[in-house]
Amino acid sequence: MKKRPAWIASLVAWPIVLLIAFPLLWMLITSVKPAAELFSTSPTLLPKAITFEHYVRVLTDTPFLQYFANSMILATSTTIVVISISVLGAYSLVRFAYPGRETLASLVLFTYLLPSVVLISPLYLMLVSIGLANTLASLVIAYTTFALPYALWLLRSFMAGIPQDLESAAMVDGASRMGAFVDVVLPQALPGIISTALFTFILAWNEYLYALVLVNSDEARPLTTGVMTMLISAFNIEWSLLMAASVLMSVPLIIIFAFFQRHLTSGFGAGGVKG
Amino acid sequence: MVQVVFEKVSKAYGDTVAIPGLDLVIESGEFVSLLGPSGCGKSTTLRMLAGLEQPSSGSIRIGDRDVVNLAPAARDIAMVFQSYALYPHMTVAENICYPLKKRGVAKADRAIKLAEVAALLQLEPLLARKPGQLSGGQQQRVALGRALVREPSVFLLDEPLSNLDASLRAHMRAELIELHRRLGKTMVYVTHDQLEAMTMSSRIAVMRAGELQQFAPPDEIYNRPANVFVAGFIGTPAMALADGSLADGGGHLVVHVGSLAVALPFAANGVRPDAVTVGIRPEDVLVGEGPWQAQVRLVEPTGYETIVALDADGLALTARVPGSNALRVGETVAFDLRRERIHLFDKSDGRRWEPAGR
Repeated sequence: MKKRPAWIASLVAWPIVLLIAFPLLWMLITSVKPAAELFSTSPTLLPKAITFEHYVRVLTDTPFLQYFANSMILATSTTIVVISISVLGAYSLVRFAYPGRETLASLVLFTYLLPSVVLISPLYLMLVSIGLANTLASLVIAYTTFALPYALWLLRSFMAGIPQDLESAAMVDGASRMGAFVDVVLPQALPGIISTALFTFILAWNEYLYALVLVNSDEARPLTTGVMTMLISAFNIEWSLLMAASVLMSVPLIIIFAFFQRHLTSGFGAGGVKG
Repeated sequence: MVQVVFEKVSKAYGDTVAIPGLDLVIESGEFVSLLGPSGCGKSTTLRMLAGLEQPSSGSIRIGDRDVVNLAPAARDIAMVFQSYALYPHMTVAENICYPLKKRGVAKADRAIKLAEVAALLQLEPLLARKPGQLSGGQQQRVALGRALVREPSVFLLDEPLSNLDASLRAHMRAELIELHRRLGKTMVYVTHDQLEAMTMSSRIAVMRAGELQQFAPPDEIYNRPANVFVAGFIGTPAMALADGSLADGGGHLVVHVGSLAVALPFAANGVRPDAVTVGIRPEDVLVGEGPWQAQVRLVEPTGYETIVALDADGLALTARVPGSNALRVGETVAFDLRRERIHLFDKSDGRRWEPAGR
């Protein structure tokens, strides 16, 4: 096939990129506009003057940093819990034969098919009864319930692609079952683990509904609900602060993506067994 | 001395019995091939020896240890897999050193061992590469290197050559024979390729449906197959097998097969089976002159010889004729048989039957 000139691709791609990125761009622009300019009757695309006062206010006058820390702890713990369980669980589903294995796998998928709204009330009552209501731990548990099934399925398909001979070889070469898992399976599954971890982290970072229902104190509130409650009241929406907070909220995800994208792509092509 | 002994070893998967009960003694330093069609249990046997499968019953001994309950790591074996099973994320050097590392060999000693093995298998220029960057033959040598480096007491090889192309396979076959000669270690080799088994083995264990059919040196397997299965399985082109009967022709044993009555150079005394299966190898059919006539059904020239399918009044025979013979399909030719080399099997149980005086 003849290769089309690159500029045609650019001509098509860039408008789409701009279209999708425009709200983000608008968010960024709004966050650095002085408040007076924001509500002027002739709206401007580019700010006449750039100010960082909103950022300073968000960081100093509001509990933003507290929420940020909460979100960070929440997303990180959820990821660690989900990945530790799902890596071992997926391995077990792929490698070990035991009665009910397939049923178990399908049941796991079934829980994923349930809308999360359905589970929210029973989950809340359960968390209250074990005394975890209104804590970060309650959210970690809640997020695990819906991130884990997906993670299990994702990792299961990744692990199914790892030839069993590799572990057999490692075991003959002197490794225990667990040693073979660590030396051979984990490195092979790493791209899958990274993408699953990324998925879980983003899910936990962006989750809103459960956070709204299960937690209502500033000590345990994550960014999603925290920012909303502090800046949106019945009478007033602090647009500049909201946009500044939104930009700050996006930064961690952008950093994580920028960092792990390299790992993701390098992980996929590597290795492979012939035959 | 490291003998490998299977004693009444069985393996069942649920209700499916893969191996009903295997007895096999492999002597120290032997090169034994487990040969058979797919599904005959040869790979399962090897994997049980490796500890990758647990036998349902029976005992397996390596040296004087019963290894049934030992982990693969504790059995002092090394294995080469059909897929090579090289660790894709490790370099060639790391792959080869992995078994040493797992056994806690010091780094300096690992380097010495690695150098030895790399020199033996000509892997020096490849040590820093990853398996994905190697050709099939190179991967094969790395897999061998990883098995050799630890100097185990038994080597297990599971169809290691089947992923190579024909010329490389012939080359690696020669290398393996040389390697076995040099190391003198016990090797157990699984294959479905009879050429590999015949050329490399000191003894061949022919298996079928989980049962050992014959365990003998290659020439005995070929010249004195223990039953009809081994007779038909070993040899290309295959031995012609047909139903026949035995009779006493004035003191001589006479075998009736098809419309042929073949007087054998053996006495007719002693007990003999009522019905037999008669086996005739292609090289024992002599085309040109003789007491019988056959029609040529198919001619397959291979250059060095020509394989000819014959029809002797309903009896199908195969013959090897030297060179590119001018035989034509449909032509009628005279032929004779090497009568002393005709194989006889008791039809009731398929076992080889020897006439008195053979």
